[in-house]
Amino acid sequence: MSVELSKKGLVLTATGLAAGYDGRAIVSGITIEATPGKVFSIVGPNGSGKSTLLKSLVGVVKVLEGSVKVGDTSITNMPPEEVAKIGVGYVPQIDDVFPPLSVKENLEIGGYLLKRSEIHERIDAVLEFFPRLKVMMTRKAGKLSGGERKMLAMGRVLMLSPSVLVLDEPTANLAPMVATQLLEEYIRGFANFGSTVLLVEQRAKAALRISDHTYVLGGGRVVLEGAPSDLENNPIFVESFLGGGAAARPKE
Amino acid sequence: MSSFGFGLISAAVLAIATVGFTMQFAVTNVLNLAYGSIMINSAFVTYYVNEHGVNAWVALVGGVLTGAIASWLLNRFVYTPFQKRNLAPITVVIVSLGIDLIGTFGLQAIVGGGYVSFTQNQGREYHFAGLLLSSLQLIVMGICVAVLVGVHGLLKYTRLGKAMRATSANKNLARNSGIKTQFIISTTWLISGALCGLAGTVFAMNAGVFEATSAQLYIVLLLAAMFLGGPGEPYGAMFGALTIGLATEVSAAYINPDYKDVIAFIALIVMLMFRPFGIFGSEKTN
Repeated sequence: MSVELSKKGLVLTATGLAAGYDGRAIVSGITIEATPGKVFSIVGPNGSGKSTLLKSLVGVVKVLEGSVKVGDTSITNMPPEEVAKIGVGYVPQIDDVFPPLSVKENLEIGGYLLKRSEIHERIDAVLEFFPRLKVMMTRKAGKLSGGERKMLAMGRVLMLSPSVLVLDEPTANLAPMVATQLLEEYIRGFANFGSTVLLVEQRAKAALRISDHTYVLGGGRVVLEGAPSDLENNPIFVESFLGGGAAARPKE
Repeated sequence: MSSFGFGLISAAVLAIATVGFTMQFAVTNVLNLAYGSIMINSAFVTYYVNEHGVNAWVALVGGVLTGAIASWLLNRFVYTPFQKRNLAPITVVIVSLGIDLIGTFGLQAIVGGGYVSFTQNQGREYHFAGLLLSSLQLIVMGICVAVLVGVHGLLKYTRLGKAMRATSANKNLARNSGIKTQFIISTTWLISGALCGLAGTVFAMNAGVFEATSAQLYIVLLLAAMFLGGPGEPYGAMFGALTIGLATEVSAAYINPDYKDVIAFIALIVMLMFRPFGIFGSEKTN
């Protein structure tokens, strides 16, 4: 890699976090930490508040209680454009690219905060990581396949060399082979470059395979956490997520 | 053939207006039905500057600035407060309709109900491919081409234009990319407002004589052109304006000219019925 893909990772911390819509908390009492060079994942059943949690970390959903920090900087309720400037790259689950814009324009928008002279160099670095995008630079993002689109979405956030990558269900709607490649090659790759990676993943087994630490959400709270090897030996986790049993319930 | 010539000029004026109108709608998410009243108010500012001995083409700057500033103020002090209250989008549309009536009839209360015209002659006449066009009409067409090329260049090649398109496509994602979307939206009101002021003035110049209510039904042509091309699609707006402009003027050769705008109504209804996202739009736009 001739140009660094991401800046040195920073620690992302949420402490005692409650967040939600119209003053109503969807998640509460959340304390999590993600450190550089590692992949942290959040798993949980539908409606457990995983996406809301991620959105609250990046300023899209209002934090009602608690705090969010990146390194020593508080980003609690900071506008999303400021969060991006601080070095947090966020890829939402859906609507993750600008469909009417070309692939090149999407990457340019990803580098909106860069100087004009830096943009081409960054695009080259991103294309080195996602070479498949090279041949489709003039294609509209709305015409890409699911996998290509997700690569573009990640390429877009990599334009700013983020210290922290926050990914919301990056493998949703992708074919199993593409999902595996995305998780094991690219997302694990970001962490190997020194980035802090926090992702929400519906495919619990796949998430465990690439994670260094996993948080399990249920009913808007963290109900379990630990290294993948520990969780795989936890009967509650196995029953709920690996064996197809009932969803995890919050601790009393 | 002469109706085709009229159609070309009407299409040129409509194209300037529709590009601003659809850009405003795409980026700000406000269907500003007060656009026509800002057009005619801008035309009257140009008229009064012209009345003070300033050449009409120079006075046009006053109309452009009026459109830009009035649109910016309208967004800042009327539409934004309503949008912040998270009301249904139709609320803002109704508010804009009210503003349109206040703007039009408020102007009429100030300037009176009589017709006025710029101190400006139509210039030499040119015969061209069977068409008879005046210098003024050729200048209007030239302005239209310059505006369309300029808007294309803005949207396609500038950082601001790409940020406007990104904000239009997905405001939240644009913010996540570091774009200050509020600034982009305010700038869009200024630019689209300037186009509105320009369109109002050339509309009045092309009409020859005009009064406070002259642009009252123009919103129908704007909506028809926008929906024909695709809501929020600047290139669609150009296509829609050309089609509606030509269709209404050419039809005037065959039906009572008083009813020529009915063609625009019919086009609007047909498009909404069969392809509400327009020729250039996608279902997602819908």
